Amino acid sequence: MDASLIPIWSVDVVGSILMIVFAFLSFGVSLKLKYKDPNNIIVTYLLWVCLSLFVFAISRSAGHLLKQVFLLTDRRDLWAAIQPFSGAVNTFTFIVVASVTLFFERSWVIYGTILKDRQALQTAHEELLYLNQNLEQLVEKRTEALVISEQKYRRIFEVSKDMILVTHMDGRIVNLNPAGKSMVEVNPDSREEAIGNKSFQDFLSGSNDWETISRHIDDRGFISSEEFDLVLKDGSRRRVLLSGSLAKSPTEDGETIHFLIKDIEQRRLMQTQMAQADKLASIGELSSGIAHEINNPLGIILGYTQLLLRGEEPRSDRFNDLKTIEKHVKSCKAIVEDLLNFARTSSPQKEILDIRAVVEEVIGFVRHHSNLENIQIETVFAPKLPPSLMDEKKIKQVLINLLMNAIHAVDRKGTIKITTGLNESASRITVEVSDTGHGIEKENLLRIFDPFFTTKPTGEGTGLGLSVSYGIVKGHGGNITVKSELGQGAAFTLSLPVAPTLSGR
Amino acid sequence: MALGNDSTADTNSITDSVCFLRMKPFQTIGCIAGSIILIVLFPAAKALATQGHAGIEGVWVHQFAHLFFLFSMMLLIFWLRQAGLVKAPGWRYIQYAALFFILWNMDTMLVHFLDEQIQAVRVESLGSWRIRVSTASDRGWLATVYYLSKLDHLLCVPAMVCLLMGLRHMLKEVKPVESGRGVR
Repeated sequence: MDASLIPIWSVDVVGSILMIVFAFLSFGVSLKLKYKDPNNIIVTYLLWVCLSLFVFAISRSAGHLLKQVFLLTDRRDLWAAIQPFSGAVNTFTFIVVASVTLFFERSWVIYGTILKDRQALQTAHEELLYLNQNLEQLVEKRTEALVISEQKYRRIFEVSKDMILVTHMDGRIVNLNPAGKSMVEVNPDSREEAIGNKSFQDFLSGSNDWETISRHIDDRGFISSEEFDLVLKDGSRRRVLLSGSLAKSPTEDGETIHFLIKDIEQRRLMQTQMAQADKLASIGELSSGIAHEINNPLGIILGYTQLLLRGEEPRSDRFNDLKTIEKHVKSCKAIVEDLLNFARTSSPQKEILDIRAVVEEVIGFVRHHSNLENIQIETVFAPKLPPSLMDEKKIKQVLINLLMNAIHAVDRKGTIKITTGLNESASRITVEVSDTGHGIEKENLLRIFDPFFTTKPTGEGTGLGLSVSYGIVKGHGGNITVKSELGQGAAFTLSLPVAPTLSGR
Repeated sequence: MALGNDSTADTNSITDSVCFLRMKPFQTIGCIAGSIILIVLFPAAKALATQGHAGIEGVWVHQFAHLFFLFSMMLLIFWLRQAGLVKAPGWRYIQYAALFFILWNMDTMLVHFLDEQIQAVRVESLGSWRIRVSTASDRGWLATVYYLSKLDHLLCVPAMVCLLMGLRHMLKEVKPVESGRGVR
């Protein structure tokens, strides 16, 4: 094939020159890259590639150019001398470029790891720098947040109406809030008295109570809404609802137990009273039914007895027998009437009265009819008591019942005290009849207003006095309560509403 | 360096052969292998210290270098694509450079093969910037291929241009780092 040499020649010459130029420029750029990022292993790789290609370009292109010059000047011998050297350099540069490239992948992986580490170091450095620069401010902010948090929880601890108690695992008290101190009647201002060397066991009434609590805590890590009795300073007891859980406190040694203790004494009393009222209301209904049914036959028996008595000779045996029947029937009728009073079947005939006058009349009546030789009756009347709307006869009956019970309780020697008072918030006047007698046993307190319940020997009491009194007072819209401890006497308190027109002022 | 005392080598091999009879199987195999190595490597002949590298060997070495270069560029393209680096313009241009180098290597290998290995082509100057390309068996197409293959700068110059462009892109993207923070 015959062809022009010009394309080959021109491409060879121009291409060789361009190769040298571009190889030189590439090497220059790779040097700049290296200068900018001297520790970058990938840049180092590129620098080696560019250097090799630069050497290759010089060797090959310069060789080609020289070849053209020598051929044109007919100096083939010179070209023959240079050609092997140029070829060897070319071969060497290929090998260098290829060898360096074989390590590119590993270099890239290493570079990635380095970058990651560098980034992590940079982030850590920046964080440290930030913390270093803002440490004071951060500590201040954190401290402020802690103070606010501490205050918030301290306030909950301080103002809680329920007892908050922290103890060690063995029951030793770590901390007790003011409500707790108040509940167990420890002086809230005296820290030593409150918690110094005391254990929660000291305030639990049952000997096994702490064992029960500990068992719950050990088994489940908490105790929830269990009822216990706390012993107060004066020895009295208070029913509480206790919840607690195990907590690891950062400030205390070992684990602690956090208790929340709610006083449910009042609620329990109220529940008891409501149950008592329900019970008495039920008994009242039953009694009322029975009394009505018995009252009519009794009336007939009494009527016929009295009719027969008219035709009998007085002092005859038959007359005496009929008199005995009449007496017992009257007694039965009195009981039935008492039952009806208890059941409040008849509405009281109320009028505005001064309680003081009523009390004084009752005392006078009792003094006249009872032997009060060694019994002292004291009265404490509140000044300016408002008048009350009441059925005089029935209230007198209540007061007589209470006074007779008190006289019986003091057993011929003691003091009976009658105190009147005013509960302005509830618009009620109160009359308390207390004695220094033998008191009432705890188990009897709940049954004391039950009909036919009596502690007196058989034949001495019907057990209807307090039941009737209860019915009368309830019929007045009032209340009657009792407080007593065995050997400490008893105190009955009547509360009656103030007359509406007067209380409304 | 010449090796060897002929009689010593023979004596050793006879001794080894005799001892097979008293040896365990492993030792026997070891002795046989040792004997063969001695016989093959140390024959009673003249030995030369270095080998000559004249003639066609230089062409072969050069062809292997081209092949190595070609192979490395293929690997580079594979790794660049696998690592997702070609998304960046700098590495994308370097990928193109590698591709042109692959083509250039193929081209030059062909020329070397035709020119120097099988000597299938002969070029004669006709004067006035004319040449005659003659091929064995008078294959016209081979002459054309050879003529076009001689224009190899049409491949290697674009390769260098792509490399330069790739580097320039990288130079723009690289931010100077503070001294002492890198890892060598």
